[in-house]
Amino acid sequence: MRAAAEPQADDLILSIREVKKHYPIREGALQRVVGHVRAVDGVSFDIRRGQTVGLVGESGCGKTTLGRVIAALADPTDGGVHYSMDGAMCRIDRLEGKAARTFRRNCQMVFQDSYASLNPRHLVIDLVGRPLKVYNEAASSDLVERVVELLDQVGLGRQHLYRYPHQFSGGQRQRISIARALALNPEVIVLDEPTSALDVSVQAQILNLLNDLQKERNLAYLFVTHDLSVVRHMADRLVVMYLGKVAEAGETQAIFDSPHHPYTRELMAAKPDMEAEANVEIRGLEGTVPDPARPPQGCRFHTRCELATSACGWEVDDVVRWLEDAPGMFEHLVGVERTTEFAAELAFDTEEAAGLLSMAVRSEQVPEAMRAAMRRLNLDGTKVEIEFEDVGEVELTARDDGRMAACVLAPQEVASWKSP
Amino acid sequence: MTDVQQTRIAAGAMTADTAFRVRMRRLFGVLQGMASNPATVIGLVVIALMLVMAIFAPWILEPNSPDPYQMPRDWGAVRKPPGTPGHPLGTTNEGGDVLYGVIWGSRTSLQLSLMVVGSTMIVGTIVGSIAGLVGGWVDEVLMRLVDVFLSIPELIFALAIAAVLGPSFGNIILALAVVLWVKYARIMRAQVLQIKQHDFVDAARVIGDTKLNIYLRDILPNAVTPVTVQATLDMGNVVLIGATLSFIGLSEAGIAEWGVLVSEGQAGIASGRWWASTFPGLMIFLWALAFNLVGDGLRDALDPRTEGR
Repeated sequence: MRAAAEPQADDLILSIREVKKHYPIREGALQRVVGHVRAVDGVSFDIRRGQTVGLVGESGCGKTTLGRVIAALADPTDGGVHYSMDGAMCRIDRLEGKAARTFRRNCQMVFQDSYASLNPRHLVIDLVGRPLKVYNEAASSDLVERVVELLDQVGLGRQHLYRYPHQFSGGQRQRISIARALALNPEVIVLDEPTSALDVSVQAQILNLLNDLQKERNLAYLFVTHDLSVVRHMADRLVVMYLGKVAEAGETQAIFDSPHHPYTRELMAAKPDMEAEANVEIRGLEGTVPDPARPPQGCRFHTRCELATSACGWEVDDVVRWLEDAPGMFEHLVGVERTTEFAAELAFDTEEAAGLLSMAVRSEQVPEAMRAAMRRLNLDGTKVEIEFEDVGEVELTARDDGRMAACVLAPQEVASWKSP
Repeated sequence: MTDVQQTRIAAGAMTADTAFRVRMRRLFGVLQGMASNPATVIGLVVIALMLVMAIFAPWILEPNSPDPYQMPRDWGAVRKPPGTPGHPLGTTNEGGDVLYGVIWGSRTSLQLSLMVVGSTMIVGTIVGSIAGLVGGWVDEVLMRLVDVFLSIPELIFALAIAAVLGPSFGNIILALAVVLWVKYARIMRAQVLQIKQHDFVDAARVIGDTKLNIYLRDILPNAVTPVTVQATLDMGNVVLIGATLSFIGLSEAGIAEWGVLVSEGQAGIASGRWWASTFPGLMIFLWALAFNLVGDGLRDALDPRTEGR
């Protein structure tokens, strides 16, 4: 995957290759960089003509950041987004002059907050007509006609031309945003949670509008959302992201039929079921998303995964994650010395505390998989040495059925697992 | 010309007209908001009267020649009380007509405040915008400079500059301009930093509009409200500080300026000649009060939480 050749294809519009976006964390008066938040950490997929790719994940997984990188609102730290122009693939952050303008015209974006994304001081005619003015496509009366045409396509009319954004409902404002995105007749539109701020009934109208426009104009969409039911309705392909990486990718229907990654499974299970009886507890994902500045080793989902095995990349941080709420466990901790990513020496100021920890990591207080991954546990007075199995990063790999998943388990194992 | 073309031109004309009318209605809404506050209305009326007085001064009282901004001297009528024929508000120790000073003083004050507020607003807006847009070390350098200026009290700083430059009305304008631009730079920088985070700026970038256009069309129009309010308040404050500097003798003697008149008249107060200081003093008070009232009203009327909803 890393050495992937520059992609070449007929109907390919955008090819996202190993894109990383890291934000530096600065501290102190000198603003020294003390670490990086790995918002997007090596993501690849393609967007083809007329296709909708759904980018899903929990908040904080990096999907919005990736959407912004693809719309060229942010430059990637590493890797790149390639745009198909005149039969060649060009990296969008290296485009200049006319080529940059061509890309700009062809990749538009609709934002989540329709109120914030429309300048409150501009009239609808200014908002929707602005792209046409920027590229000198229309002026004066011609501009009015073009804007009316665009408004007509999104279900608005001439009577709305001279109104301010605040005079519209949320759904209507999102229609204005869509009209603006359509003005330059783009090839692809990045839709960043376009319906998550809307009522359910209005959501459906906007989704239907987007579907109709796609058919009419052979548009490609990148649909960024946390809402699986929306994506099922919209997307041809899915890219499921977790903590800056792709957990699973493939055809939407196939993923919904049998998810190959436990995270995808959990996401689907966490969705409240319309047909479920009242008062039945909805099973949600347990725990919180780990800090993206220090993502877990191995598979990033193993800290919350109910199917985790000893091969998932357990480390000393996990010991702390699991036991930090146990009373008195780390009160006497005075220092941690890391020897490798998977081994460390924890120093306490009493032998008692050290003994308590070495007992705990051998007990039911930690998952069985973690215990199985432990290669060495050494209690030496006030010090506890712990070493886990050295596991490389779990890469996204192709499965027998041609789909991609980043999990150490085979698809059958994920599928056969029944929630307790 | 074909029919179609004619209709299109007509449509275009209608369009420009409609957009103009909608924008006027919005402006009218802001004015209506201000009109609903009695204090603001009082302020507006006082300012309007002052402006009328300043503009029509040459028609109200014959200008002194050769320099109408110098007080006319009538050595035959010194220290006359109000009500004296030809001198309805009395005269000063040097035979200057107090009414002349009050009326022509409004011209002087208007010049002072317009020049100071105009120049500081422009310089401050430019510096603040650059700091907010460019960021990095440019921002650091500019803002530390602003901090230095802000660390010295306005009046003392202006006094020091005016003293170094020597006593003249022009130097008072210069001193106030040097001192006051930093306030606008501060406000503008904060506004730009906040507004450039908005989605509509990103939306303009996605369209591919130029940086200059994004600044002029998206950032600046949404940033100017607090600058406008500050400018209105300063229109009053500048006259107040200017009068203070004139009062302690940093302006030319004999000029038709309220602060100078108060200063020249104060010696006579102990002997019962109250008029030479009181009338120009009252004008300073009214001017500063009126602009402060309107500034407050403007702040409420332009409040983004209520505007246009």
